[in-house]
Amino acid sequence: MPIRQGQIALALVCVVLGIMLAVQFRTTQDIRATIPFQRLEDLSQRLIQTEKERDALLNEVYELRKATGSEAAASREIQLTKMAAGVMALQGPGIIVTVDDSKRQTQPGDNPNLYLIHDEDILKIINELRAAGAEAISINAQRLIASSEIRCAGPTLSVNNTRYSPPYEIRAIGDPLTLENALRMRGGVVETLQFWGIEISLKKQDMLIIPAYRGSFRFDHAKPVQEEGKQQ
Amino acid sequence: MILPIIGLIVGLVIGLSFPISIPYEYAKYMSVALLASLDSVFGGLRAGLDDKFDNTVFITGFFTNALLAAGLVYVGDRLGIDLYYVAFLAFGLRVFQNLAIIRRHFLKK
Repeated sequence: MPIRQGQIALALVCVVLGIMLAVQFRTTQDIRATIPFQRLEDLSQRLIQTEKERDALLNEVYELRKATGSEAAASREIQLTKMAAGVMALQGPGIIVTVDDSKRQTQPGDNPNLYLIHDEDILKIINELRAAGAEAISINAQRLIASSEIRCAGPTLSVNNTRYSPPYEIRAIGDPLTLENALRMRGGVVETLQFWGIEISLKKQDMLIIPAYRGSFRFDHAKPVQEEGKQQ
Repeated sequence: MILPIIGLIVGLVIGLSFPISIPYEYAKYMSVALLASLDSVFGGLRAGLDDKFDNTVFITGFFTNALLAAGLVYVGDRLGIDLYYVAFLAFGLRVFQNLAIIRRHFLKK
C-alpha cells in the first residue's frame, strides 16, 4: 500500500464518516418505516370527519327517540309551525281590503304618481294590519310569508315573485273590527290614501279563506345551527 | 490502507450501536454533509497516494466541507434557492474524479 502519510488522520476521519453513514442509514430507514406525513394527516382528517358524522347520527337517534315519545305534542307543534309559515290554507273571520288606482282626472301640473298605488302604500296597509293582530294575510291569492316581498315592478306589484296589477285585494284573518279600525284610524292609512283619490274599500267578513303559500323554500346560504350552545 | 478501513468499520459499529437518528427535516442537510465528508475522504486518499498528504488541510477540510455544505443548503432553503442539488452535483463529481485518479494509481503499479 502506498499510503504512508496520514494513516491516523484518515482512520480518525473514517470513524466519523462511519458514524455519519450509520446515522444516515438509520434515518433513511426510519423515514421509510414511518407512515408518510401526508397520509397521516389525511387519515386523521378522515377520523375527525367520521367522528363528527357519528356524533350527528347519535344526536339524530336521540332526537327521534324523543320525538316518538311525544308524538301528539310534536304533531301539534308541526301544525302550528305550518300555520305560522304559511304553507297551510287558513280560514276565519277577517276583512278584505280592495285598493285601486285613483279614477280622478289628473290636473295639468300634478304629479300623476300621487294618484297611483305604490308598494309603499300596500306595505303601510300590511304593516297596519299586522300591528292590529292579523294572523294571516294574502295579496291577490298570494299568501304573505316571512320572505315575501312587496315591491314595485314597473306599473305592477310583485308579491312572491308574481306580478299583479291593480286592483289589489288584501285579505287578512283577525278580529274584523280591530283590523278595520286600525285602517280607518284618523290620519291613518285609509284617510291618507283617500286624500289622493285612491279607491280603497274595507269589507268585514265572518268567514274568509286565505290560500297557502304555493312556492318552494330554498335555503342556499342559511343552515340550522347544530349545537344548542352556539346559538349566539 | 488497513487503518482507515478499520476506522470506518469502528465508526459504523459505533453509529449502529447508538440509537441516534436525525429528524426528518434535517435528513437533507445530513446527506449533503455526508457526501462532503465522503469527498474529503476520497480526496485525502488520493493525496496520500500522490504523497501530497497534509494532515491539517485534510482534517480541517473534512469538517469545514461538511459543515459548510450543510450550512449552505440550509441558507439556500431559507432563501428559496435550492442549493441541495448543486452541492450534490459538485461533491458527486469530485468523488468520481477522485475515484478515477485512485483507480489509475492502482492500475499503474
